[in-house]
Amino acid sequence: MNEREHLPVATGPYPPTEEMLAVPVSQEEQERGKAELRAAWKTPEGWRYFSAVNNTEVGVWYCLTAFAFMLIAGLLALAIRVQLAFPDNTFLDADRFNQFFTMHGSAMMFLFAVPMFEAISILLLPAFCGARDMPFPRLSAFGYWCFLIGGCFVLGSLIFDAGPKAGWFMYPPLATKEEGIGPDVWLLGLSFIEVASIAAAVELIVGSLKCRPPGMRVNIMPLYAWYVMVVGGMILFAFPPLIAGDFLFELERSFDWPFFDPTRGGDPVLWQHLFWIFGHPEVYIVFLPSIAIAAMIVPTVAQRPIVGYSWIVLSAVGTGFLSFGLWVHHMFTTGLPQLSLGFFSAASEAVVIPTGIQLFAFVATLMVGRVKMSLPMLWIAGALAIFVAGGLTGVMLAIVPFNWQVHDTYFIVAHLHYTLFGGMVFPVIAGVYYFYPFFRKKLLSETLGRWAFWLIFTGFNVTFLPMHLTGLRGMPRRIFTYPESAGWGTLNMISTVGAFVIAAGFAVFVYDLLRSKKNQPQIPRNPWGAGTLEFSHDVPDEAWGVRSIPHVTSRYPLWEQDKIVERMDAGRYYLPDARDHQRETIVTSVIDAKPVYVQRVTGPAWITLWAAGFTGGAFIFPTFHMYAPAIVCGAFAIVCVLYWLWTATARPPKDQMRDVGLGLRLPTYASGPDSVGWWAVWITMLGDATAYASLVFGFFFYWTARPDFPPEGAAHPTGLWVACAAAALFLTWALTVTAREVNRRGGVALARGALLVAMAAAAGGAASLAASVTALDPTTHVYPAIMWALMVWVVVHVGAGVIMLGYCLAGSLFGKLTSLYDADLQNVTLFWHFLVLEALVTAAVLGLVPGWLA
Amino acid sequence: MTNRQQEVREFRDEALSLWRITFGPVIWATHFVACYGLTSLICATDGQVDELRLGIGIGTLVALVGIAWLGWQAWRQWDVLHNRDWENDSGTSQDRHQFLGHAAFLLAIISFIGVSYVSLPALLIGTCQ
Repeated sequence: MNEREHLPVATGPYPPTEEMLAVPVSQEEQERGKAELRAAWKTPEGWRYFSAVNNTEVGVWYCLTAFAFMLIAGLLALAIRVQLAFPDNTFLDADRFNQFFTMHGSAMMFLFAVPMFEAISILLLPAFCGARDMPFPRLSAFGYWCFLIGGCFVLGSLIFDAGPKAGWFMYPPLATKEEGIGPDVWLLGLSFIEVASIAAAVELIVGSLKCRPPGMRVNIMPLYAWYVMVVGGMILFAFPPLIAGDFLFELERSFDWPFFDPTRGGDPVLWQHLFWIFGHPEVYIVFLPSIAIAAMIVPTVAQRPIVGYSWIVLSAVGTGFLSFGLWVHHMFTTGLPQLSLGFFSAASEAVVIPTGIQLFAFVATLMVGRVKMSLPMLWIAGALAIFVAGGLTGVMLAIVPFNWQVHDTYFIVAHLHYTLFGGMVFPVIAGVYYFYPFFRKKLLSETLGRWAFWLIFTGFNVTFLPMHLTGLRGMPRRIFTYPESAGWGTLNMISTVGAFVIAAGFAVFVYDLLRSKKNQPQIPRNPWGAGTLEFSHDVPDEAWGVRSIPHVTSRYPLWEQDKIVERMDAGRYYLPDARDHQRETIVTSVIDAKPVYVQRVTGPAWITLWAAGFTGGAFIFPTFHMYAPAIVCGAFAIVCVLYWLWTATARPPKDQMRDVGLGLRLPTYASGPDSVGWWAVWITMLGDATAYASLVFGFFFYWTARPDFPPEGAAHPTGLWVACAAAALFLTWALTVTAREVNRRGGVALARGALLVAMAAAAGGAASLAASVTALDPTTHVYPAIMWALMVWVVVHVGAGVIMLGYCLAGSLFGKLTSLYDADLQNVTLFWHFLVLEALVTAAVLGLVPGWLA
Repeated sequence: MTNRQQEVREFRDEALSLWRITFGPVIWATHFVACYGLTSLICATDGQVDELRLGIGIGTLVALVGIAWLGWQAWRQWDVLHNRDWENDSGTSQDRHQFLGHAAFLLAIISFIGVSYVSLPALLIGTCQ
């Protein structure tokens, strides 16, 4: 075996000593560093501003867009409240009412709550971590543009009176049978946004794992980063089942494959399972990051470190897990066995424990601290009060008999609004007040803030407290009107009045947020006296993120590390300059945040916009059954993404090493588990595997739930073709691994050959798999339909896999991928690890399981 | 041993200590899915509920023993009786090690409670309907 060439590793002293840090930086050096960083991080001006990808720009756009969608969804709610104010009201007709409540729920969840978490995290996470930017800025920008296009498309359907109207959880058969394009808008538009959400989740997880500043070990990272990691992980396991569900649903609507049609062996309850496996964790996906904002504000208000840091970590991780065991409590009335209901009831009660622990930790911190009551704290206090009330009704609802009693009534509406307002809206507004000085370098008005708080807080309780009673008196949700004799008139009138008070509060808040603050004098740098890194920001603003990336040794560096801000400003720490005017950030190790390498960060680009536009086309055209333009758009989207990756990622660096300051020299390229790209692939594929597992779950669900699965005398996939597919795809995987290994040892020509054969084998495998089911007609019964669905899933993935292999081959031919700089090949191999697993499981389900079932 | 191999080994040790805090909840999740899946299967096929309940009982005991064992490991890793450090808030590898022990220990407790809760229906309810 040849002696392999290796990528260089970090050299030089680490961690830095106090003496090293005490050495002053000359004025000349400081000015040079500043000038270089300014040049590298310059925000594009004029119309080019929209090509920016920096987290501070994209984060603000993202937040504002999500907030605008929220206001629109809020206006829909006002219209709903007006309609319900009087018995037999005719303000909205039934059809429009249905569209409005469906869109209100869908927009609040998919266009506000989850994107808002991602928006805030993209904006703030790098600052908490003293990083320059997120690891993949163009991915954030791509996600943002997808979100904007998808959101406008979904909301825009209302203008054409074509919105979905089956409720935000789209239950079949109502939604599968619904006329018009409403459900398609919902399915395709929101799937598109979910893809963007997953992209953001991947980026955020990698950001909190790999882009922390040197020295910030897991036991001292800001609690927000812990929450981001937990919530990112939850998104990866929660959204894929819904994407799988959407996939089946759209196949039923477009091609009449009967997944949810009981007359042909389907089962509508499968949708409910897939939806709520997503839907319940979703509640915690929006709650945890919002409460994470509280975890940042509370220590500042108490002017002391958080009490029970480990307990809060326990609470976040524990809630993250337990929240996946609750989904059936939305389905207590579907006739599942009592025993099964009992499991979910028990788990629903158990999740209260970790959720409660974090609230107690906050209260304890406030009790032992020297509390400086501030506006953000007022909102947090309101949040806790409302959330606790919502939590208590949640405990009631987890009890099966009580749940049966109030199922589908306004009691549920009251409960969910208490949890979401208390658990999400209030903490997020608290966060806006608290972080506004950080991202706008201005302060919001104290007086207006108090007005907004009391209006929203009062209005909220006036609206939703009576709804508990309305529900107990039997008013079902989602009815567009009710007769006077029902006796719900007064309570509804009170709720409507309250809704307008909330709206007034939001008007004050929006005015305060958007009014010109030109005349406001320069604010202090750390107006709340916070202890975490984001308040080391530059006032007035600089686009570089941090002047130099500090070495962190405590949980509250601004309180506990003497002179840290002064030294950061002077450029005493890492990466104080940018000699090539390239954007860079330091990537560190997962647990102990040891510096590993310097990652080149991508700059402004239009390609992300093009890619998002074409991806949008690929999702939006099928709504109107226009498949040819959709395919063209899909192809262009792929070309855009390839161009973007080819020109800007994992290119062999000019210099192997970079002097990052304090005597430390770091490599400029990493491959495999050291690199952020590898982690991103790993995490993405975990989500992908979850979606795939949901399809397989569907197969076995039909088997347990339906006596006619498989139907008698059904045709089965052709065993020989299935075996060929399994063999060919396994061969592809083996060849890919071989290519990686040979390439690393310098056998470049051999590796190219292996890649070429792998592509052919993959194509053959996909063709065989398709051939195995062609004799089956997917419209006749769910059994052939699910076989087809599994086949389509694998074939599409193999298509992607072939493109990736081709990309590596081209990289090898054109010198982008060498035996030393092989990150692309490492990542593609990782993709194939997952894909071969999915392919083999599919082959087993298609080829072996029918035999066992028969 | 080359640098590379050493790095890979260190990386694995390091990653494992973060994964370890999730082992307790993973046992909870496995137990939960097994209870739910078995019940669906047996209740769908008019099967024997008593055997199911017994099976869940045995599975619960196994899960609880597993969690208790993890909890004990984590307790030793936390090492609070020895050095009386409750916060583990300094940037040292010792504090990081003990912090992960503390978090794993607390998660083991939550998982223990979770598994016990989830097993209660099987203890109290004797039929599918």
